[in-house]
Amino acid sequence: MDINAYIESGIIESYVMGVTTPEETAEVRSMAATHPEIASAISAFEVMLEKQLKSNVQAPPQIVRDKIFSEIISPDETGKVVPMESGRGDIWRFMAAASILLFIASALLNVYYYRNYKQMQSSYQQLLADQGVMQAHVDKMQTRMNLLDSSMEMLQDPSMKVVSMKGNDGVATVYWSSKTKDVYLLKNNVPAAPAGKQYQLWAIVNGKPVNAGMIGDCVGLCKMQNIPEAEAFAITLEKEGGSPVPTLSALFVMGKV
Amino acid sequence: MSDAAKYTENGLVALLKQRDVPAFEYLYEHYSAALYTVILNIVDEKEAGNDVLQDVFVKIWRQIDQYNEQKGRLFTWLLNIARNAAIDFKRSRQFRNSRQNLELTDSVYYSTGVTQLDTDKIGLAGLVEKLPEEYRKLIRLSYFGGYTHEEIASAENIPLGTVKTRIRKALSELRKLM
Repeated sequence: MDINAYIESGIIESYVMGVTTPEETAEVRSMAATHPEIASAISAFEVMLEKQLKSNVQAPPQIVRDKIFSEIISPDETGKVVPMESGRGDIWRFMAAASILLFIASALLNVYYYRNYKQMQSSYQQLLADQGVMQAHVDKMQTRMNLLDSSMEMLQDPSMKVVSMKGNDGVATVYWSSKTKDVYLLKNNVPAAPAGKQYQLWAIVNGKPVNAGMIGDCVGLCKMQNIPEAEAFAITLEKEGGSPVPTLSALFVMGKV
Repeated sequence: MSDAAKYTENGLVALLKQRDVPAFEYLYEHYSAALYTVILNIVDEKEAGNDVLQDVFVKIWRQIDQYNEQKGRLFTWLLNIARNAAIDFKRSRQFRNSRQNLELTDSVYYSTGVTQLDTDKIGLAGLVEKLPEEYRKLIRLSYFGGYTHEEIASAENIPLGTVKTRIRKALSELRKLM
């Protein structure tokens, strides 16, 4: 084979520029391996082509260079840095989300507890009021019981004189201590006094009525005025506050000692 | 170029295989314009050229281990990567844009005729412009179009052997212009 003719055929240029068929490529490589002239012809055209292609060129924009270098360099560095930063960002995002949720939960709980508190407060006030009412009842009952208790003691006292007073409209009893001369009245059957009127107890001493006190709202025995001496007791219905002399027409009950 | 003093080609390749960034910067400074120009000759559009060049350099960075000094100069290897990437891009774009009856020659005239970008005036295409139409067309189809000899033979309705001979002749003529 004429090596020079082969070299001059254009096969070298076709091979270097990559427009040969696979068979041609294999052929050129095999020829170059056995013929140093062909190998050096290939090298010479490579140099020539390189020189040619480096002339009359257009430079790429800077942005392409930046993209390339960020792409080839970043996988190493961002592999460490960027994920960490984004990881940190995730943590902040997570914390922000969590704190917003906590805030909302806390706000809801505030509302819930405030409502509970208001409800409890009103229940508590209600209980306090109820308790006050109960206590008042208890106090009243206690007082009443004490009075009844002491009345009972007096009734049992053997030194007590009992003067039963009767009338058409009712019954009352005077308990008169022979030791202290204290007078107590028990309203057995005494209707309520009409408006503006009040019952008044009188002791009859030597045929004359002596005021023994006004009869109020008392529990058990009503303590009246001390009477040293009396033959009889009587109750009249007088104007409120009492009268100096009894209105005999309004005699309610009377009983002798 | 005086920068050649900085790295011998073998030294540059050795550093590139160690993923040395300054060596890669040097490679970019000295080869990007030539590769970009070839890419523009093929894709005819700057935006596309930017994307292809980016892919090419990333590919070079990742695949430098596949370069074998025994098989040729570094630039020849780089040039083939750039040319193949640009042709792949153009083919896939043509495929996306294709109408059913798109002819081989239509796409060639589309890329070098209708759009008439300045890319015809730069780099190798500028040199090819100086060739007679017969050679110019074959170089456009085979080198810038990436069409195989069989494709060209069938599209131009000429025998395969004639295609081979004419391509060799065209490139031989091109060399004379260098």
